[in-house]
Amino acid sequence: MQCGFCARELPEKLPETACGACPGGCRKIHCPWCGYANPAPPKLLKKILNKNIDSEENTQ
Amino acid sequence: MSDQRVGDNSGGLPQILLVGNPNVGKSVLFNALTGTYTTVSNYPGTSVEVSRGTCEIDGRRFEVLDTPGMYALMPITEEERVAREILLDETAHLVLHVVDARNLERMLPMTLQLVEAGLPVALVVNILDEAERIGMQINLELLQEKLGIPVIGTAIARKRGVKELRSVIADYVDKRTACFGYAADLERDIEKVVATLEGEYRIKPRAVALLLLQKDEDLLRIVQESEGDRFGHIMATLNEVTFARRSDLHLRINLERKRVCRGLLQGVISEEQGRRPPFAERLSAWTMNPVSGGALLLIVLYFGFYKFVGGFGAGTVVDFLEGTIFEGHLNPWMISHADQYIPWYWLHELLVGEYGILTLAIRYAVALVMPIVGAFFIAFSIIEDTGYFPRLAMLVDRIFKRIGLNGRAVIPLVLGFGCDTMATMVTRTLETVRERILATVLLALAIPCSAQLGVILGLLAEVPGALLIWSSVLMGVFMLVGLLAARLVPGERPMFYMEIPPLRLPQPRNVLVKTLTRMQWYFFEIFPLFVIASVLLWAGKMTGGLDYLVRGMNPVMRLLGLPPEASAAFIFGFFRRDFGAAGLYDLQSNGLLTAVQLTVAAVTLTLFVPCVAQFLVMRKERGWRVSLGIFTVVTALAFSVGFILNRLLLTSGVLS
Repeated sequence: MQCGFCARELPEKLPETACGACPGGCRKIHCPWCGYANPAPPKLLKKILNKNIDSEENTQ
Repeated sequence: MSDQRVGDNSGGLPQILLVGNPNVGKSVLFNALTGTYTTVSNYPGTSVEVSRGTCEIDGRRFEVLDTPGMYALMPITEEERVAREILLDETAHLVLHVVDARNLERMLPMTLQLVEAGLPVALVVNILDEAERIGMQINLELLQEKLGIPVIGTAIARKRGVKELRSVIADYVDKRTACFGYAADLERDIEKVVATLEGEYRIKPRAVALLLLQKDEDLLRIVQESEGDRFGHIMATLNEVTFARRSDLHLRINLERKRVCRGLLQGVISEEQGRRPPFAERLSAWTMNPVSGGALLLIVLYFGFYKFVGGFGAGTVVDFLEGTIFEGHLNPWMISHADQYIPWYWLHELLVGEYGILTLAIRYAVALVMPIVGAFFIAFSIIEDTGYFPRLAMLVDRIFKRIGLNGRAVIPLVLGFGCDTMATMVTRTLETVRERILATVLLALAIPCSAQLGVILGLLAEVPGALLIWSSVLMGVFMLVGLLAARLVPGERPMFYMEIPPLRLPQPRNVLVKTLTRMQWYFFEIFPLFVIASVLLWAGKMTGGLDYLVRGMNPVMRLLGLPPEASAAFIFGFFRRDFGAAGLYDLQSNGLLTAVQLTVAAVTLTLFVPCVAQFLVMRKERGWRVSLGIFTVVTALAFSVGFILNRLLLTSGVLS
């Protein structure tokens, strides 16, 4: 996933501790280079997207 | 650095390290060199994966390591930290710095850092085929001469240049002669720090000094261990230099490196004769030009927000959901069932009354706010995915400097149009306290959140001239308060510099993911608050407290020239900005406002106090004293501007 502002590749796992501001858990990834708040896809959406990518790769 | 080496390297094979930014083709090169027999393992003590393999060139075997993506030698993320540890811990035969030919200027500063560090480097200019396709000509021989290291042009995915690369690996002899000079004052500072270093390092003292001047904390720890008692003297020298320069040395060194790179690339990159730069490049330049950039910004605002969010989201979709579904079917059905089955007045009111959870909270959240916020997030995600925002930062940098900020403040201010609460948190990324306070004030005052913006755009679009007055007043207040605050709040004025990523076509998948994620997050945040606000208003109605509050606000409403019913929208607005805007929508739908009243109410509500959540974040970020100060100033200013605007409109007869 790329940062929506500086376009740098966001690391899979960020070392920063959660600020606790999002009710119900973290839903933003703050870019470590520019600080832009990128939306962090929820688990279910991630699962669906990964499934789609896998099936696309399998059909290629 | 870590005591553990990443490679077993038990056979004592000479190592080839692949380094570079993410997505430049390092892994493709790794596969091209090593074939299929590779291992992937976590770097000791981290979850970062490092791939290892071997290759044989001219009968000689090498171990090849594919390091995680890094943007500079000074690490920020765990991946970069691991990549640097590998670079500094391993005794490489050759470090291959892989760069994207199309972005050579952006990536060359890291080559400089690697050469400065004294590492045995070769530059792999990859994706050369794509660069040539867009008309770029790169004189690799000249670049090699200037850099003093081997430079190989490749298109690894097409197997181009692999043979040459293999021969460079096999024949490489470490000469390391190049030295790149910076500005005289910076050179003196580097010399001062180098003179204090006596310990042994894996990189050249000049590179250590540069990283120390850039406040590399990891390296500072290594220097402390290596220098022992001398560390105090080194710190004193660093502090002395930092104090004397009074500027951000990290930024200064980066800018110097950029300058050196531009010099190195002179005569190296040229455009194909008679070929115009690609459209994306020209468009990129237009977006940052003060004249064409301003015009393009207006186009983006007009189509993206006015037509799409205000017209389609707040108009078409809201009319259907609110008017047809809720008012036409759902609400009458719920009310008639409640009339039939709920004999208790208090419960009836709580569920389907004037401030009922079903008839107010859910209707506001689902039928009013969600479609507007959804439309806003679609437009926002499309614009974001094109890479427009960093260009906007460059465009407004000059104007922002006048109000004590710089282009970097575009990040929180742009995010504020999504949600001011979250944007207030992001102000912490600004460099100085002064900038953070200024941005917090402007967010609390003049940046409407997405739902508020959408509702107001939708409402004002129906009254000719109202939208122009609303936006002019907001812009005027934004600039006036910014100018005054910049003069009143003391502090430094930092420089702004950022690398502009390439402009790109928005990817539907990215837009969809970002929009859905943002909508889910927004809905989770607003829904409980809307229900709580509805219950509080219901409790106020049942106890008579709300009447008391509304009566208390009546004189203020009169001063603004608004009907007493408008008090409710302002009370709603304190719970949530979007809740207040939805209240305004109800007033307008019921025909309770004239054109002048609608404009005055929209301006005052936009400027009005930040909502509870934003205030709490303000308190967390800036403390009680500053946040209460902002709260007081913003409230007083909102009503004063509303009062003046009402008088002006009535006197001039505009909108009457």
